[in-house]
Amino acid sequence: MIPQEFEYSAPGTLQEALQLIAGGERKVLAGGMSLIPMMKLRLAAPEHVVDLGRVPGLNYITESGGTIRIGATTTHHEIEMAPLVRGRCPLLAEAASRIGDIQVRNRGTIGGSIAHADPAADYPASLLALEGQVRLVSANSDRTVAASDFFLDPFTTAIEPGEIVSEIVLPAEEGSEGYRYEKLAHPASGFAVVGVAARIKKTGGKISFARIGVTGMAAHAFRALNAEKLLEGGATIDEAVATIGEGEEANSDLYASADYRQHLARVHARRAISVALTRAT
Amino acid sequence: MKISGAHVISVPQERAYALLQDPAVLGRSMPGCDALEKIGENEYHMKMKMVLASMNGLFDGKVRITDANPFSSFRLIVEGAGKIGFMRGNGLLTLAPLENGTNVQYEGSVEVGGTIAAVGQRLLDTTSRMLIKRFFDKLSTEIAASGDKAGSALPA
Amino acid sequence: MATTTVKPETLVGKRIRRREDPRLITGTATYVDDIKMPGMHHACIVRSPQAAARIKGLNIKPALDRPGVVAVFTGEDVKDVPSVPCVAQLPGLRQPHHHVLAQDRVYFVGHPVAVVVATDRYIAADAADAVEVDYEELPAVADPEKALAAGAPAIHPQWPDNTAFTFHQEGGDVEKAFREADVIVKQRITSQRLVPNAMETRGVVADWRAAERSLTLYSSSQAPHLLRSLLASIFGIPENRLRVVAPEVGGGFGSKIDIYAEDMLMTFVSQRINKPVKWVESRRENFLCTIHGRGHVDYYELAAKRDGTMLGLKLKIIQDLGAYLQLLTPAIPTLSVLMMPGLYKFKNISADVIGAFTNCVPTDAYRGAGRPEATHGIERMVDILAAELKMDPAELRLKNFPAPDEFPFATATGLAYDSGNYALPLKTALDEVGYADLRREQKQGREQGKLLGIGMSAYGEICAFGPTPATPTGGWESATVKIEPSGKVTIMTGASPHGQGEETTFAQIAADELGVDIDDVVVLHGDTSLVQYGIGTFGSRGTAIGGTALYYALQELKSKIKKFGATLLESDEVSLVGGSVVHEASGKSVSFSKIAAEAYRPMKLPPNTQPGLVATHFWEPPNFTFPFGAHVVVTEVDRDTGQIAIRRYVAVDDCGKLINPLIVSGQVHGGVAQGLGQALWEQAVYDDNGQLLTGEFTDYAIPRAHMMPWIESSHTETPSPVNPLGVKGVGEAGTIGCSPAVVNSVVDALSHLGVRHLDMPLTPEKIWKLIQAGGRA
Repeated sequence: MIPQEFEYSAPGTLQEALQLIAGGERKVLAGGMSLIPMMKLRLAAPEHVVDLGRVPGLNYITESGGTIRIGATTTHHEIEMAPLVRGRCPLLAEAASRIGDIQVRNRGTIGGSIAHADPAADYPASLLALEGQVRLVSANSDRTVAASDFFLDPFTTAIEPGEIVSEIVLPAEEGSEGYRYEKLAHPASGFAVVGVAARIKKTGGKISFARIGVTGMAAHAFRALNAEKLLEGGATIDEAVATIGEGEEANSDLYASADYRQHLARVHARRAISVALTRAT
Repeated sequence: MKISGAHVISVPQERAYALLQDPAVLGRSMPGCDALEKIGENEYHMKMKMVLASMNGLFDGKVRITDANPFSSFRLIVEGAGKIGFMRGNGLLTLAPLENGTNVQYEGSVEVGGTIAAVGQRLLDTTSRMLIKRFFDKLSTEIAASGDKAGSALPA
Repeated sequence: MATTTVKPETLVGKRIRRREDPRLITGTATYVDDIKMPGMHHACIVRSPQAAARIKGLNIKPALDRPGVVAVFTGEDVKDVPSVPCVAQLPGLRQPHHHVLAQDRVYFVGHPVAVVVATDRYIAADAADAVEVDYEELPAVADPEKALAAGAPAIHPQWPDNTAFTFHQEGGDVEKAFREADVIVKQRITSQRLVPNAMETRGVVADWRAAERSLTLYSSSQAPHLLRSLLASIFGIPENRLRVVAPEVGGGFGSKIDIYAEDMLMTFVSQRINKPVKWVESRRENFLCTIHGRGHVDYYELAAKRDGTMLGLKLKIIQDLGAYLQLLTPAIPTLSVLMMPGLYKFKNISADVIGAFTNCVPTDAYRGAGRPEATHGIERMVDILAAELKMDPAELRLKNFPAPDEFPFATATGLAYDSGNYALPLKTALDEVGYADLRREQKQGREQGKLLGIGMSAYGEICAFGPTPATPTGGWESATVKIEPSGKVTIMTGASPHGQGEETTFAQIAADELGVDIDDVVVLHGDTSLVQYGIGTFGSRGTAIGGTALYYALQELKSKIKKFGATLLESDEVSLVGGSVVHEASGKSVSFSKIAAEAYRPMKLPPNTQPGLVATHFWEPPNFTFPFGAHVVVTEVDRDTGQIAIRRYVAVDDCGKLINPLIVSGQVHGGVAQGLGQALWEQAVYDDNGQLLTGEFTDYAIPRAHMMPWIESSHTETPSPVNPLGVKGVGEAGTIGCSPAVVNSVVDALSHLGVRHLDMPLTPEKIWKLIQAGGRA
């Protein structure tokens, strides 16, 4: 459990960090919850690690004009506990509270998690359901990518060489909407075997708005667009969730077969929608 | 682990069959692979740099083509070993003509060993499929670049 | 003369906080990896990624060329080092020579191939990566039943049937019992391979001093004296020049009874480089190279009368041994045979064990070692019989227990159960859980589609290993008690506790016997140059045997104290009260501290008495002890996902007299955690090529705090007549009682769907699929 030799930089400013990252093959370290174990197993052997831990101004949660911004090095625990997130974006706080265990939540960061893009990570389901955006910066660029265009494949995102995730941008949830994140946690890793995030708005007792993000089931998190449309069009929850996963190839491993994952996605979607519905006013 | 799937290539069957066995094309299309070097009849030396998330491994191995049944099927065997473990892919590729190209169906298995087996089992299925997809995507790019056309063997 | 305050109460039986905890929870304890020595080198082991392969080439030069690397040793260097020892013997046992480094072949993933020695551990790790090994892969077999099948690849070429041994035992007339039976139920039951996962991985520091011809070896061991004796004989080092120290040991669960290749390898390396050398196992190595537990495929047949009277049991055990035999590997399934009747009266048994080699790391003792498998089997079979007879499973159990007046109870397997009241814990647990109400709730719930299960186990275990004739390591234990001139008490126990709390419980016993403050008692262990010879801690033996040795050493000292007191008080009419000696007629007394001082500077010695207050006792037990108990588990199964929630966990354990109920609770909790681990989550999965797929905590699920149910733990106390303390042992009870109760509960929840049996672990998908199939497996 000893990593290979590597160069380590702990830049003191974002500019310095971006310059370092622009300089060639660099691995960016945030909370280290994925990178460090991989390095200790020597599955990862980066030559140069750039630690964002000492870069000021990347750890924040702010709101202005209905837009919430969360700095990349904000930890899961900070997100879970922040009154601002709990009040204005409670789906994300709920998802954060279900990540790994308390030690992981204390160290792991939202930027690190989404940049790593594990297909079973918890956040992507919520980011998709929230129609969030990811801000990517490099030494000479600054752009924002929709969450739906960010997660491309297992461990593959829209991040270009030289870029880092600087912040997550989320529209605040409306107070009247209901939300829920449901998951089956793997008993060893805590990863979502399947996780479903749902947002529901009601008008006149009927579902007028639905957003559903699914993680863990397929190669990357996806939005259940057909189910959303069906719900908004007055279909029953069962009718809507029956479409979830259609056209997706479900993952399979020792713990859960593709069929089971597909089934879980529907069960958890049904449960997430039902709870969100009771929470919506 | 068993794998199976299908991809469509936009060239006629005979051409697809030839491309899929062309070491230059294979070498360029296999993710992380630079070039294949012939070491025997239908046997090539391969060096592959696998980059996946923070994982980064060099594999040294062989690509072999066996059970060739022109132009309908053959077996592709890819074996590699490195510090982080070893992997072995074995797939029977079956080609069938389509109106605008060729359907390539594969059926086989992927086996891994060493550290990647111990920590990678939950990701083996999804990443294998991703790598196969990348292979066919790259192959399509190769085809487009080479000017091959789906209908080139057919009357316009 | 001064009178001392007589201590108002005894400490035995009280919930005293563990005295070893402050150093553990403040991170100041000294483990093997904390040992640092001048000139110490570091070893890193190159291990095979292949389960079965011929080593075609081995190039160590790239490692040797690296700065800081002082040596690389390979199989060739160690070919004359004797085999890693197995002390368990069975007739006809085939024992492969277990070299400390692979010779021309590797037999399991993780098999040591070379060792790199360097000036620091980072250099060693990099250099180990640089060693080039060319493997020619051979066919592997990782499943014991596949290994025994015709045409399977031979793990060891000299034994193509992959059979290390067969073992047969019978008692009574099992064929007659089966002929007379009204009902015979059969089931294949597995106990999957488990990874013991001590929190502290193994580690060794070997320090050979050529000038003194002496070796000091620090090893994370459960049995340091045994390790010393074996190393001494293997390397020809005189035992009095070989010191083994087990410093703080962060758990073992059986996995650290063994002497491992690395203990021997570090000894070899230190002798070769003439410097101290350290090796600390990584977690990855721990998964791959430290013994695994369980690995049973069992075939059961139980015969009974229509009224539920059990008549006889047939059992065939296929034991997955792995590629080699570690210290006790072949003995473990024979313990399952001994305990196969469980707590039931029937006297007719027949058992066959087949030990199968596989291309996996060896199995050996893991918490319970053979008894969890046996208990799981019989307790599942009783439930299957109950279902067949449409009898209540509690009633069926109660009908077949021996009565309390039938003890000592001679079993079909030749044991004498020491004492017991088997109905009491079961009835207590059922009352506590509200059994009748739960059955009503279950019936009503089923009409609404709810899946509620009530499962129980009534378990017995064989503990306190054991009489020497039945224990390959030796079965006695030792204690030395020294009362220092200042009256402080030092205990040296031959047991080598590593989490069991004997620094506390033994101090309680001594404080009570001598009438001293517990803070005046120190318990030392684990250092062979400090402690008289001992056996070690395993098989729930520490208190029952080590505690008894202590008890007798204390009696010897008490009698000597009394003699000194009588001399000082100039009367034979004295008695011991607390720590003081009192002259009853006059009320005069002499304090413990006064006597302690007097013993080392006696103005007048009592007749036939030597100065000093030191006593040593080696105690050989006349029998094992047989703890028992009942666990009742209430589960709710999620019909849509197959997930299992434990609503209630009631454990009523009888481990004889309780020395410290707080520590006993801790043992029950820890044991139940590991039992739940087996029942619900844990499994070492090897693929067909012998690759361990659950080889890290990312896939291998051990129970965490948040996954644990509340354990309602209580006790009945049936003293053991085997030892004067009346104690039986509790280290493994929780694990043994747990897994059948959990599985019985889940099977019970699904029984109306036709489910009769489930193999562990009960993963959600497995349950969901069964529900989907309407119970048809």
